[in-house]
Amino acid sequence: MKFPSGTPSWRRYLQFWRRDVRGEVDEELRFHLETRIDDLVSAGQDRATARRTALEEFGDVTKVSEQLYAIDRRLAQRGDRAERLRSAVSDFRYAARALRRSPMVAVTIVLTLALGLGVNAAMFSLLDVLYLRPPAGVVAPGGVHRIWIQRRFESGRQFWPGFDYPSYRAIQQALGSQAATAIYSYPQHSSPLPAAAASGPVVSHVSASFFGTLGVHPARGRPFTLDEDRFGAPAHVAVISDEYWHRVLDGDPAALGKSLVVGNGRYTIVGIMPPEFTGVDLDATDVWLPFAAFGRVSERPWWENRNVNGFQILIRPRAGVSTTGVDAMITRAMHRPELMFNPRDTLQVAQIGSIIRARGPGESQQELRIAARLGGVAAVVLLIAIANVVNLLLSRAVRRRQEIAIRLALGIPHRRLIRLLVSESVLLSLVAAGAALLAAWWGGALLRSVLLPDVNWGSTPLHWHVLLFSTGIALLAGVVAGLVPALQAANPELTDALKAGSREGFGRPSRLRGSLVVTQVALSMVLLIGAALFLESLSNVRDLDIGFDARRLVFAEVFFADRDSARDAQLGPRLDALAQRLRRAPGVQQTALTSIRPMYGFSTMTYFPDADTTRHKISLATFAAVSPEYFRAAGLRFVRGAEFATSSRAVVVNRAMADGLWPAENPVGRCIHFEKPDAPCFIVAGVVETARRDNVFEAPKPQYWVPLGVGPFDGFRPHTLVIRADPAAHALVMSEVRRELQRAIPGAQPRITRMSDDLEPQYRPWEVGATLFTLFGVLALVVAAVGIYSTISYGVSQRMHEFGVRVALGARMVDIEKQVIATGLRTVAVGVVTGAALAVAGGRLVASLLYGIEPGDVRVLLAVSMTIVAIAIAAALIPAWRAARVDPLTALRAE
Amino acid sequence: MAKAELDLLQGTFDVLVLRALSWGPMHGYAVARFIRQGSDGTFRVLDGALYTALHRMEDRGWVESEWGTSEKGKRAKFYRLTAAGQRAQREETRSWNDYVAAVARVMKATPELA
Repeated sequence: MKFPSGTPSWRRYLQFWRRDVRGEVDEELRFHLETRIDDLVSAGQDRATARRTALEEFGDVTKVSEQLYAIDRRLAQRGDRAERLRSAVSDFRYAARALRRSPMVAVTIVLTLALGLGVNAAMFSLLDVLYLRPPAGVVAPGGVHRIWIQRRFESGRQFWPGFDYPSYRAIQQALGSQAATAIYSYPQHSSPLPAAAASGPVVSHVSASFFGTLGVHPARGRPFTLDEDRFGAPAHVAVISDEYWHRVLDGDPAALGKSLVVGNGRYTIVGIMPPEFTGVDLDATDVWLPFAAFGRVSERPWWENRNVNGFQILIRPRAGVSTTGVDAMITRAMHRPELMFNPRDTLQVAQIGSIIRARGPGESQQELRIAARLGGVAAVVLLIAIANVVNLLLSRAVRRRQEIAIRLALGIPHRRLIRLLVSESVLLSLVAAGAALLAAWWGGALLRSVLLPDVNWGSTPLHWHVLLFSTGIALLAGVVAGLVPALQAANPELTDALKAGSREGFGRPSRLRGSLVVTQVALSMVLLIGAALFLESLSNVRDLDIGFDARRLVFAEVFFADRDSARDAQLGPRLDALAQRLRRAPGVQQTALTSIRPMYGFSTMTYFPDADTTRHKISLATFAAVSPEYFRAAGLRFVRGAEFATSSRAVVVNRAMADGLWPAENPVGRCIHFEKPDAPCFIVAGVVETARRDNVFEAPKPQYWVPLGVGPFDGFRPHTLVIRADPAAHALVMSEVRRELQRAIPGAQPRITRMSDDLEPQYRPWEVGATLFTLFGVLALVVAAVGIYSTISYGVSQRMHEFGVRVALGARMVDIEKQVIATGLRTVAVGVVTGAALAVAGGRLVASLLYGIEPGDVRVLLAVSMTIVAIAIAAALIPAWRAARVDPLTALRAE
Repeated sequence: MAKAELDLLQGTFDVLVLRALSWGPMHGYAVARFIRQGSDGTFRVLDGALYTALHRMEDRGWVESEWGTSEKGKRAKFYRLTAAGQRAQREETRSWNDYVAAVARVMKATPELA
């Protein structure tokens, strides 16, 4: 039997960290045995016998020791856990008590942090929807892919995600059984009903395989069958979304079998999708119709027409099929002779990508880029908020320095003290996170309508992604904000505070505060400069001359659900008559017809100009067939010549085309042959200023216009009525047009829009940037102003004694005020310069998003700097006022 | 002549330990001594079992321990009844008394004539 050995001294040392179970048990048993032996020896036994007796009386020492170790270890673990929990709870209770004593500070900190956290939550939520969340309801979304075709142009690579049906068929055949495929049209508002004021449901035409490929099934009813999706004779069936069912049909349980009017067709509802599924795009779909019901007016069947494109393809490769293999198969399919536009077509490499559109190759839409950068801005706002919170906590720590010094003197370990102080800021931060999420919930709708109004944000405005993210950064912010002041406060030098009193200011905290102010001011500078740059860009963009009088234009497009060649032939004359009638309507200044509305699309035709094309090359010129009044209606200005007469063999070119083909010459009178080099000549009748073709921003593109119904262009029928009217009269004009159209052309599905509404999405990125930068910048400035105020205020309170002496010695109030303000401004000046430098350096990141202004624009820098200085002076005024009016007696007497 | 030492019956050990501690905080050796002396040497006390009982009682929350200094100045672990321990001590004592009284009654009883 083994006698437990003595506790070595190093073991005792361990007890500072945690209980040494083994050592204690050994010590306890040793005490017992030694005492027993001593007693037996005192009773007369010799040592050896006593030892034997004691051990016998005890039993198996080793076995008992092991049992005791086990029991005590279990006990210790339970105790430790309880202790940790107790200390954490007590830390938080202490923090809550301390905060309750100074509610203003607590509320300020909570609001400041809530601001920073809320902004981040909103930004993250946006990025989450765009980049991270796959469409809801889709089974295994990682296995579903979209296809992009990469085309190489002179201007660089471009990725196109839109396809025509023949291409889809080729792809389908090439992939065979290796993948499930589906094709669908991008969700769009259907044309409004004649009587309705609001636009119709968002409709997407999908192939019968669509739902199956995605793995979604209607919650009620059924999807389309292959039979119902037959070209030429599509069944009039529809599947609706759960949201549409509740919103428009009031969740009627007998909705299945009811008929639905979409545009000009009547469809029977056969299925209702489950609540979370609204399609696979950011725009939510209300109604799914068979793909074959897409129907557009055309000579040939539209599904054979390669010009009817823009459809989206989804594929789900079978397990084990590699993505590179699929890419290769699709590329091969697209290189089939009948699919190439011309033998030298620099097509095309297919690439499949994620079902989340934003993750596809080349998806560098403006909105996404801005969203990503705004994430950076949100982080900056949070930094500013944290800086301010650090400032506030520093003030608190200084005010409590006596309390803290006493605790330190009583022996609280430094780690514990820091933990105590940090738990305050963490508690505040978590409260702020709660407030932020509430604000994000309520204000979220507002924010979303500002940023991306058409996007489908999902059923829960606060996805768990966002909750997790917010809680995480709240904890991080709390720890970061609290750590610096806590480390400062736990500094043992503070015990001197007990003795020294408040007569001396502290050197180190002031430096820290000073650098906090510099940080806040610099960051505010950056945000405000950003705001100014975006506002300027927005203004420049809106003022941009796109070549049309966009504000005045209203378009009415006419579509038919079915094909009727007799009616189509009549379309031209009927629309012409209508245009003439409308010219006399009140508010209308001019009307015209066109085959395709401006800035919407373009058409091409092979052409052979009477020019030296070996020397003068232009990129592909596009055209539209128009009535002669078109130019006056659209506001296209002639620089040479004039418009053509109706049905004449003439053409009007734009300046880009004229300068490209006939530089330094007057092209009026020149000849262009279409389709064949020896075809009859089209005379150039005039040259107009270059207007935009697709986007508000683009390089000049060559364009020309031909009369309707002449020569090889007679297949390009007028579909769109262009109406130039006074903007104030637009609403009346639009309803008038609708009425007239329904009367003149029964069965038409008119789509009536204003050009300014069409263009609006193109301005949105700058609007968004300007709004958000301004909002954040102003908020940051407010926070910084509060920071400046509190720092100067603190500095003044530290030097009250000194001010008292000076006033007693006869200093003027004005001088003291000036001195206080000057001291404050020195720090602010450093911040302004730093901020300006940061803004210029970081300007490169946003330069591509700006328009008409450089990131380092001097006017902007000066204007923002002066604004900040002015606000800083305003913030410093109150403390300066107080300093100058100090009562010398009170100040000298006080501690 | 030493009397033959009896082994403590199962279950009575705890009652005695609790009784010892009800006199006040003691270290383990003192409890052993109390039981040994109190029984006048009748009981053979296996000290190991005593310590196991004490630690188990601490685990159950009947006693709490603290390191202190013994009468001779050495470092020793003292045990003290907790509130739960005091309740347990009263309970166990009552049970024991009931048990003893019942046994005594049976011992005194005479068989009933059939």
